[in-house]
Amino acid sequence: MRVVRPSGSSKHIACPDCDALYLAPALREGEQVICVQCHASLFNYHRNSLQRAAALTVAAAFLFVAANCFPFMTLRAGFRESQMILSQSTFGLEHQGSPYLGLAVGLFTLVAPTLIIGGLIYLLFGLLAGRRLPGAILLCRWVYRARRWNMLEVFLLGALVSLLKLGKLATLTLGISFWAFVGLIICLTAALSSIDYRELWARLEAIDRE
Amino acid sequence: MSEFYPGSAAARGLALCHACGRVDAIEQEYCPRCGARLHLRNPASLQRTLALTLSALLLYFPANLLPILKVESITGTQTNTIVGGVIQFWQTKDYPVAIIIFTASVMIPVLKIIALLWLCLAARLGRHPFGMTRLYRITEVVGRWSMVDIFVVAILVAVVQLGSVISIHVGHAALSFASVVILTMLAAISFDPRLIWDAAAEKQSPDLTPNETR
Repeated sequence: MRVVRPSGSSKHIACPDCDALYLAPALREGEQVICVQCHASLFNYHRNSLQRAAALTVAAAFLFVAANCFPFMTLRAGFRESQMILSQSTFGLEHQGSPYLGLAVGLFTLVAPTLIIGGLIYLLFGLLAGRRLPGAILLCRWVYRARRWNMLEVFLLGALVSLLKLGKLATLTLGISFWAFVGLIICLTAALSSIDYRELWARLEAIDRE
Repeated sequence: MSEFYPGSAAARGLALCHACGRVDAIEQEYCPRCGARLHLRNPASLQRTLALTLSALLLYFPANLLPILKVESITGTQTNTIVGGVIQFWQTKDYPVAIIIFTASVMIPVLKIIALLWLCLAARLGRHPFGMTRLYRITEVVGRWSMVDIFVVAILVAVVQLGSVISIHVGHAALSFASVVILTMLAAISFDPRLIWDAAAEKQSPDLTPNETR
């Protein structure tokens, strides 16, 4: 086999799962590139993917603030009532003497979503406004890395299970924040899946060169 | 003969940047676009995956043997292990919850540990690279859902502050269990499925697509 060593270029794409090398195809709206060897989904193409993602991220940001400001659940037992705010699931553990567990819950439900939402707003709106963005490349790497540690949807399942678990001992009602939280998950998932990382990186690179 | 299969980017000296997805010559060492270190394959992938998986396996025992939750109420004190919680839900006929907790807290961690060990073996043997790559993708997606039991504990602790009526304490199993989930997630991140394809090429697996058809 003749070994070709083309200097790196944005013309090539490689499958992250099996390392098959391809020439980047030209795509039309809604088309998806799938690796012929291992069937990994390589990327999607949507026109205005960044605008779409920016809009969804702003919605997610408002819902994230709302989800953290209002009571998530209210518990009534006899005459006593206690309200829970989302961040208490992190700090409650700390008060109970489980700081490390609290740290983990905080990372998955507060820090990772904040990093993703804040980072995307900075990157996407900066790009759409055509500004130079200091620190954008490092931030983009961190946002990409934080994706898998964002566990809001797992937390939602946990909330539903605890609702059933406590339902027998006391009366539980869901607060406004719970519904904001559901909306947040929908918006954030949609935002993350609509980003075309190829386009995002290509534009960051273009701005960096100027 | 190179250690990378012919037709792979690595065999041509091209590395896929793990951070930004750019394909560039490995001689550059650092990705010219995002500055991340370039690797043809994840460094020490199998060693790291094995070490993390075995640590998770060790912690799996305290996670299941020790209590995860201690509930004190007027009706008495009750300590629950993970499996005990599942059985309790089953007995009170909450079948959907019992199934959710059982799947997330018992089945997924065990299957994930087995899958990771199997993947490490596959990276050596190179059999069925297509199916193994699919197993890897499933392992990566599903793992996070094990965290659900930890979130249940966190929510219960936060919401129950009724001191005199009910009080809830976190058991020692919680930290072990959270560690199991985090360690298996890190193990899945360290694993490099491309190693399976390299091994498969050595064994001349039919799953490999000839380069000319691409």
